[in-house]
Amino acid sequence: MAQETNEKAAATPVTMVTLTIDGQSVTVPKGKTVLEAARSVGIDIPTFCHHPKLKSVGSCRICYVEIEKMPKLQVSCATEAMDGMVVSTNSDQVKQGRRAVIEFILLNHPLDCPTCDKGGECDLQNLTFAHGTDDSRNDFQKTRFREDDMSTTFDDKSIGPEIVLNRNRCILCYKCVRSNKDAFGEYDLGVYERGNIAQIDSAPGEQVDNPFSGNLVEICPVGALTNRDWRYKIRVWLTETTPSVDNFQSSGSNITFSKERQKNKIYRVTSRPNDDIDDGWLPDITRYGYQIVNSPDRLKKPLIKKGGTQVEVSWDEALDTIAKRLANIKDSKGSVCIGGLAAPSLDNRSLYGFSKFFRKVLHSNNVDYRSDCRMLPSSSDTICSRLAMQPFSISDLDDSDVIVVFGSDLIREHHNEYLRMRKAFNFNGARLFSITPYAVKAADIAELEVVHRPGKEEFVLQAVCQAAVEDRLVDDQTAGRFREQVGNVDLTELCRSAGISTDSVKQIARALASGKKISFVVGEIVTRSREREPIAAAICNLNKLFGLHDKGQVAILARYANSKGAQKLGVVPVPHKMLVDKMNVLWSETPSCEAHNTDAMLALLKKEEIDSLFVLGANPMMVYPDLQFAREGLERADFLVACDLFETETTQLADVVLPLCSWAEYDGDYVNLEGRNQTARAAIKPIGESRTGFDIMAALAARFEASDLFEVDAIESEISQMLAIADTPALPQEYTQVRASEDKEKDGFDIPLYLCDDPHHSGHLTEKSPSLAEFSGEAYAEISFDLANRLKLRNGESVRVESPVGKIIIPVKISEILNTDVVLLPRNFSSTPTTALMMRKRRVDMVKLSKVDD
Amino acid sequence: MILTEESIQKIKEKAARYPHRKSAILPALTVAYRQVGHLNDEIYREIGRVINIPPVEIAEAATFYTMFPKKPVGKYLLQVCHNLSCALVGADSMITYLEDKLGIKKGETTDDGLFTLISVECLGSCATAPMIQINHDFHENLTREKLDKLLEELRAKA
Amino acid sequence: MNEVLKAVGNVFLKMPLGFVVTLRHFFKKPVTLDYPYKKKPMTPRYRGKHYLERYDDSTERCVCCGLCAAACPADAIYMEPEENEKGERRAKIYEINLLRCIFCGFCEEACPEEAIFLGQDYEFSDVNRNAFIYTKEEMLVKHPRKDNPFKRLYRRVRKVHGVTDKIS
Repeated sequence: MAQETNEKAAATPVTMVTLTIDGQSVTVPKGKTVLEAARSVGIDIPTFCHHPKLKSVGSCRICYVEIEKMPKLQVSCATEAMDGMVVSTNSDQVKQGRRAVIEFILLNHPLDCPTCDKGGECDLQNLTFAHGTDDSRNDFQKTRFREDDMSTTFDDKSIGPEIVLNRNRCILCYKCVRSNKDAFGEYDLGVYERGNIAQIDSAPGEQVDNPFSGNLVEICPVGALTNRDWRYKIRVWLTETTPSVDNFQSSGSNITFSKERQKNKIYRVTSRPNDDIDDGWLPDITRYGYQIVNSPDRLKKPLIKKGGTQVEVSWDEALDTIAKRLANIKDSKGSVCIGGLAAPSLDNRSLYGFSKFFRKVLHSNNVDYRSDCRMLPSSSDTICSRLAMQPFSISDLDDSDVIVVFGSDLIREHHNEYLRMRKAFNFNGARLFSITPYAVKAADIAELEVVHRPGKEEFVLQAVCQAAVEDRLVDDQTAGRFREQVGNVDLTELCRSAGISTDSVKQIARALASGKKISFVVGEIVTRSREREPIAAAICNLNKLFGLHDKGQVAILARYANSKGAQKLGVVPVPHKMLVDKMNVLWSETPSCEAHNTDAMLALLKKEEIDSLFVLGANPMMVYPDLQFAREGLERADFLVACDLFETETTQLADVVLPLCSWAEYDGDYVNLEGRNQTARAAIKPIGESRTGFDIMAALAARFEASDLFEVDAIESEISQMLAIADTPALPQEYTQVRASEDKEKDGFDIPLYLCDDPHHSGHLTEKSPSLAEFSGEAYAEISFDLANRLKLRNGESVRVESPVGKIIIPVKISEILNTDVVLLPRNFSSTPTTALMMRKRRVDMVKLSKVDD
Repeated sequence: MILTEESIQKIKEKAARYPHRKSAILPALTVAYRQVGHLNDEIYREIGRVINIPPVEIAEAATFYTMFPKKPVGKYLLQVCHNLSCALVGADSMITYLEDKLGIKKGETTDDGLFTLISVECLGSCATAPMIQINHDFHENLTREKLDKLLEELRAKA
Repeated sequence: MNEVLKAVGNVFLKMPLGFVVTLRHFFKKPVTLDYPYKKKPMTPRYRGKHYLERYDDSTERCVCCGLCAAACPADAIYMEPEENEKGERRAKIYEINLLRCIFCGFCEEACPEEAIFLGQDYEFSDVNRNAFIYTKEEMLVKHPRKDNPFKRLYRRVRKVHGVTDKIS
């Protein structure tokens, strides 16, 4: 469903206007409102319905100001600042107006502050204290909304898995409805009826369960919308706040933890608006994901496998065992027989310590952070990795006039960028193009959505290039070079094999050629594909042909909280040359032995050429896209160490399990996908005896008599030197031939399978959050309406998903968005190992579906 | 499907007249109301599907306008104006008279499903107050006798 | 001789005179109390041990809003709210540390629900420090109290907040 309005920003030069507010002269660009002008010089005007990221509606009218020559009070949030205006924000008339507005709002507002969770941080409470009167002149029954079947005196209504609505308290500022529609593009909340029975409610027959629904609660100026997470838990004035950074998203939204002073417990996460990153909106993963920290399932003590079962031991015993076994293997078989996998959500210090421990202490190059990718190239200086190192800025999406999303389901992977894209469309009139193998939610506002045949990504890109050359959209010299180096390909042939129309390709080519500022965003469908290199080469061709890099940004988006940090700190088997050079300077030497990536490590474990694997926070058993392969490898490991917050499939196999701190328990730095280094502060003390990744690495190093390498100050300075390497590797300067290999068709398996994240989950940890489990608690197979019809399946019925290597039976979810034959499986639920269906060597996994007959 | 093929065709026709699809919400609701006699969530969803607008936007518009009944009503919807002009010349007594005569309260439907009585805001026929709108027709300068006659006629027609 | 007489006179005449005050008290009502057997009645506004009120339908009044704890100068009140079976806010834990409490009565003043009052009871000595943590169950009275004019309940029946219906 497309958005209605699409206002083009007028490209007129910015003119300034000067007005006087409370005797102070203010100069602002034309088009700003009086409210914005006042706030720009620090004059506070109270507001309820105004939100800086939404359009003004002027429904609450508390922001009254007096403007000379205007007969009545004006609402400052909807009055444009004009030259020569004389505004007064605290005259007697204004004060009287505000008092009247407060009295009017309180007409039907119940005085149930004692039971209301907003009490203490409520805008209405604060403004009533500041501007209202002590008493009410009205002594009549207030409007009361109650459901017929409700037996409570508190007329609350659950409108979503997390959100509780109390319509009595609502003051109809419409902020929730506006943000839901304008900022998030979700249509599950609305305003119904009129007059004094006007009310907010969920859409007919629907639940408010969109992946941004937590924001509605946060921006509610009163306690009309509250969430179960915070409901009836603690009073806000008893909490303390700690600034932190999100750990589930690569953009690193800025968050605030609320915790109790005496208890070691976090109560909620709220936003800490940062216009460069998150605009103050948090996805639900961020808002409710913190609950894993308080989970009762957390590992609290180290475990060692003794006689088949894991028993609790002391840290000393566990670390001694690890050190002894690793030293044994190192001495007897060589350090090349030890491998390490780290999670890309750990902080810089842990990742750097991990890499340093392996390289400098164990002299092994087998480190990797990419446990969810298959068939990784052995070299690390590839076109794909160069694309991933390109600079990218989230806020640059705002004023891009053409945004192309290539191979990314943004709402599942990059929530903040998804919202930015909607903002660019809604407020700046950006043109959006989406090129994906299956229809995605983000495409509802796209000018053109191209759904190509799965596994044909490079054909689409080649076709766009070809169309530009054929239609003379680029200058002849460039076109000539392209023809010379790539050769002529038949456009119709390309489009036919990609399953798209030539017109759509030409439309994209025209937009890319005419765009002033272009953002070309590449997502996970590319990075996790076996053929990531040819696709990346095709992207580089496109980039060179249209000069995208000079007109904006082209980048593969990092996927996890510190993927970029892991990249920059060289937690890969063969880091980029400039990183190795730096390591040589810092450590005086780097090991020269053979380096193996995740794939190779698992394969060698299976062949028993690698004996030991050290897993720090990662869970290859759950996320590696070939369960059987991962299991065979890990089961044959002589010595497996796993560190995690919870018991996972990987820790179950481990000989030693170490409890890891969550990110809320220690100070750590994280590099977001823009390369911005942000600090998350410790909110609480470590749960149980858990330790940070860095502490574990340092303690192990001490047992190898290398503790001098792990002094915190030195490590910090080394990390900052590594991160300070500013150069981005250049993209190839020549056009390259794109040669990708295809899968062999397998008979009977005809439906492509894509493994993805649920919009409410990220990685393997979030399923431990009760709130997120409320939204989505078990795996499902998402298929299109047509496919479900053909299989005679209804929503929620079980379907058998079969691939050549495995089969699972899971409930079906009929998608409103998918329109081709494709199955999406979430990988976030340990109860259903969806990776069991995947084969490591395939480009696109094919499955067949059948209805389960009871 | 509640909407008939004919209504859907009509809605599509009306939607084509406007530059913004959102503008077609009210005409579409009118078409649906004329066909069904009332509106409900299923109808909002169907209209949404026809003119490609989220059903919530349609529900918002429909509930804002009190002229669309949201529950099934009798065959004849008696809408007595209770606004100022009519009230001054005895709209209230007309309502009580109808209540007594039909044996129902305001907002209710008679047992035989023929009449639903509601009072509404000004219908713009103040010069001929008191007045009543029965389904889509005005009946003006009401007296008790006139009402009796009207009800008789309607009963006979039904 | 004269000296002797004077001394005798002092014993028999002046000493009884001195005892008159004491003797007078033999016939007066005693000012002390036969304490453990008799209790002193306190003034109606006396601030003794706390109790929590109920509504007439015996639901507890306290909604665990935290205002008493916020008002408490001695930081003696600890509480944790919960949702009861009807979805209403109720106290899961409500504790007053009587060793900390200074019986100022601010909690009573702060309470918006007329739930907590300081009663007439002044006997709460114990040999165990833990016994001074006074829990919700110990504080909840069985029936709403009606006798004390200074601890009068204005709202006896549960109603939606903000509705003005004062029953006195």
